[in-house]
Amino acid sequence: MAENIKILVVDDEPIVIRSAKRILGAEGYDVEGASGGREAIIMMEKKNYDLVLTDLKMPEVDGITLMRWIRKSRPETGIVVITGYPSQETIKEALELGIIDYVPKPFTPAVLLDVTHRALEWMKGKIPEEEIPKEEFPPSMISELDRVIKEYKNKPGSTIPVLQRAQEIVGYLPPIIQKRIARGLNVSTADVHSIVSFYSFFSMKPRGEHIVKVCLGTACYVKGIEAVVTKLKAELKIEMGGITDDKRFSMESVRCLGACGLAPVMVIDQDTHGTLEPKKVAQILDEYRPVSKETT
Amino acid sequence: MKKSRTNLMVCAGSGCVGAKSLKVKNALQEELKKWKLEDEVTVVLSGCAGVCTRGPIITVYPEEIFYENIKIEDVSFLVEEHFLKGRPVEKFMYKEPVERLAIPRMSEIPFFKHQVLRVLRNKGLIDPDKIEEYIARDGYSAAAKALTEMTPEEIIKVVKDSGIRGRGGAGFPVGVKWEVCAKMDSGQKYMLCNGSAAIKDGDRALMESDPHEIIEGMIIGARAIGATKGYIYVRTDYTIAVERLQKAIDQATEAGLLGEDILGSGFNFDLQVFRGGGAFICGESTALIHSIEGKRGTPRLIPPRSAEAGLWGKPTILNNVETLANIPLVIINGADWFKSLGTDDSPGTKVFALTGSINNTGFVEVPLGIPIRQILTDIGGGVPGAKRGRKFKAVHIGGPTGGSLPESLLDMPLTFDDIEKAGAVMGSGGMVFMDDNSCMVAMAKFFLEFNADESCGKCVPCRVGTKIMRDMLIAITEGRGREQDINALQEISYDLIVGSMCGFGQMAPNPVLTTIKYFREEYDSHIRDKWCRTGMCRELATFYIDERICKGCGVCLRACPTKAIIGEKKKPHKIIQELCLHCKTCYDACKFRTIRVLPFSAREASETELAELAEAIAPVVAVKKTEKAEKMEEVE
Repeated sequence: MAENIKILVVDDEPIVIRSAKRILGAEGYDVEGASGGREAIIMMEKKNYDLVLTDLKMPEVDGITLMRWIRKSRPETGIVVITGYPSQETIKEALELGIIDYVPKPFTPAVLLDVTHRALEWMKGKIPEEEIPKEEFPPSMISELDRVIKEYKNKPGSTIPVLQRAQEIVGYLPPIIQKRIARGLNVSTADVHSIVSFYSFFSMKPRGEHIVKVCLGTACYVKGIEAVVTKLKAELKIEMGGITDDKRFSMESVRCLGACGLAPVMVIDQDTHGTLEPKKVAQILDEYRPVSKETT
Repeated sequence: MKKSRTNLMVCAGSGCVGAKSLKVKNALQEELKKWKLEDEVTVVLSGCAGVCTRGPIITVYPEEIFYENIKIEDVSFLVEEHFLKGRPVEKFMYKEPVERLAIPRMSEIPFFKHQVLRVLRNKGLIDPDKIEEYIARDGYSAAAKALTEMTPEEIIKVVKDSGIRGRGGAGFPVGVKWEVCAKMDSGQKYMLCNGSAAIKDGDRALMESDPHEIIEGMIIGARAIGATKGYIYVRTDYTIAVERLQKAIDQATEAGLLGEDILGSGFNFDLQVFRGGGAFICGESTALIHSIEGKRGTPRLIPPRSAEAGLWGKPTILNNVETLANIPLVIINGADWFKSLGTDDSPGTKVFALTGSINNTGFVEVPLGIPIRQILTDIGGGVPGAKRGRKFKAVHIGGPTGGSLPESLLDMPLTFDDIEKAGAVMGSGGMVFMDDNSCMVAMAKFFLEFNADESCGKCVPCRVGTKIMRDMLIAITEGRGREQDINALQEISYDLIVGSMCGFGQMAPNPVLTTIKYFREEYDSHIRDKWCRTGMCRELATFYIDERICKGCGVCLRACPTKAIIGEKKKPHKIIQELCLHCKTCYDACKFRTIRVLPFSAREASETELAELAEAIAPVVAVKKTEKAEKMEEVE
């Protein structure tokens, strides 16, 4: 199982390297050691390692610097931190650099073996970045998205603004886009998804060229929005949340547009249409259709 | 502002823009140019006037003449008549609902006459996109006073003495909250504005029509508590509000009213607009703070209060839009001036959004403590169709977590405490009026569907409780209600009140509790008699044309979507029960009120039984009499 797996142990204490070699070597791993960050970088320039176990505090080039280099130049290499002085700050920084795990010093052979096994298992399960289909998301769109992600990166609380901008750029937020944003902002995909699924503004389905938002607030209910919705469904031949076959319209419901004086209300794109009646619906929709009726 | 003979204010609130007011403005300018009047008459965009259903609205100053529903094709006639020939055009003026007489002046229109404008004082008068106009009307003088002449302690004292209570929800005294935050020893503090509460017509209009007023209130608040950073949280779908606020912030920053060393006072305040993601729960303070932090907008347990540990764990003050808009006025005019309106416990004015079955919809500012009846009759102009027998039934105050109050409470003064005692909440200041065509059980069901949908799901009582209540209410409106359901609804409501983590869950049962309390007989009728007397719950109604009064006009016959109505001209019509969808279309269409709503069981009844049932609920003698009276009225 452990064949051909190359591990580099980086520590300024030779005893750590020696014991790691002894423990992991016995399991069949190919283990080498480096006494500091500089030596490790030189070794990694020449040879690929699957996993790096590194100390944080080392003279000259420290663990954090080494990890930054690895992330930039050898992104496919897994990192596990071994440290005797886990301070909040360094651990946070290490986590941001995407370490798999960390081993507190001193450690027992069982702990080291366990952590190493788990790290390698985790890496095996790591899914390579999905290819973004070019037909659906042109490269210009993706580079605009990446620019926005970069602009907000490392700013606290930036997930919601980024998602809003992303939805403006892409039109909706499919899983592949959510994953790209999560990776770019260095937050978990689950966190991004939890936000997208929570706020009604975000849509995971493609939306039409024109978005019909129907108000289901109190005032609109009292003033008879239900009949308007029935008419809209019949006119567009879609259900709430759906999109027409020609992708011209999609219909969503919102909780009060704050225009209760105009109830019942719907908003198409940025235009508010108030005091609606079912019989007005067709005419309003026509405003958003191309002039010649034959094409529709 | 350029001096000209006449100023033409074209409303650019959401409603009017939706009714193409911007195109009307362009048309006006072109038309004026045609007559070479462009130097004499200036066309200006203004904030929302508050009567959105009548848009586009144009007000002519200095004469104060109010025009409504101006369409593009009306423009040339209006310009020629009013501005060239000097004859105000009656047909575009507001007409009072009873006698249909035109009322030219804005200040004489009852809707405006009974209002007291404080926070809305600039509505329709200034261009919200121009800071100079706000400044020209004494804007930012309160901020200047607070920053250069007052200490933070003095600001807090005035605000505390004024007794102003938060306009957003429970009505907590603003000064007290500020004081707690000001005393916190912390490097960083935050000043936030909640512009997210749903069903807040008034707040939205304020942000759109006078954004600088809110910014000024925030500067003063930030100074008082010692905050150097602030956010205005606005729902993304309030596009116009977001744009106007952003523009206003940019202008204020350029003018040195935001940013570093404001007005040379050494005080720094950086303000940003944060676009929310559209979740009802984000009106709750801790949920809103989570949302700004970039998380799911779920609330957390209080304490600690936000004033102690809020945004990013730092002391934070969150005030609602209307509260902040009051602050500059309190600073300039003092605590006593503020207290001169309203009651001892609820001083000042309050903006309410009127909607539903009421003649004048829109938002209004009135002194707290006035009776609801005054809003309904004097400002709102009563219930539409009053002549045809429509009657007021209930007013729902406070949005989906508010309560519905009956006619017997119409004389109750509108104060924070009275409203709460009655089972509703001031909260959003939304007032939905309902006439006798509205089924209160169906309303409760609607609100609980909403609340079950918007429950964030974090705590069990709210997540599960709202859904159980919703399902019970659906069952009742569909004829599957059981006698014990009413008690069960009340018990679960109690569980939500004591067990929910945040105000949303604690108030979510309000619509159910108030409708059971004030309209119990409707629940009984649904459950016991399987009869929704309004016909709103279609499973519990049978529609029947009272043949004794039907004129055979054919209106219902044409309106019926399933062609379930038969009958010859001028002969009484009939509904074929087997074809009827119970959609109530015929009921609304009939001008002679001949259609009766009978219980579900009547669907199987014979003709004679139907006639008897109809006679029981509306004796034909009485019906004919009112009809006669009505005709007399019309003749008069």
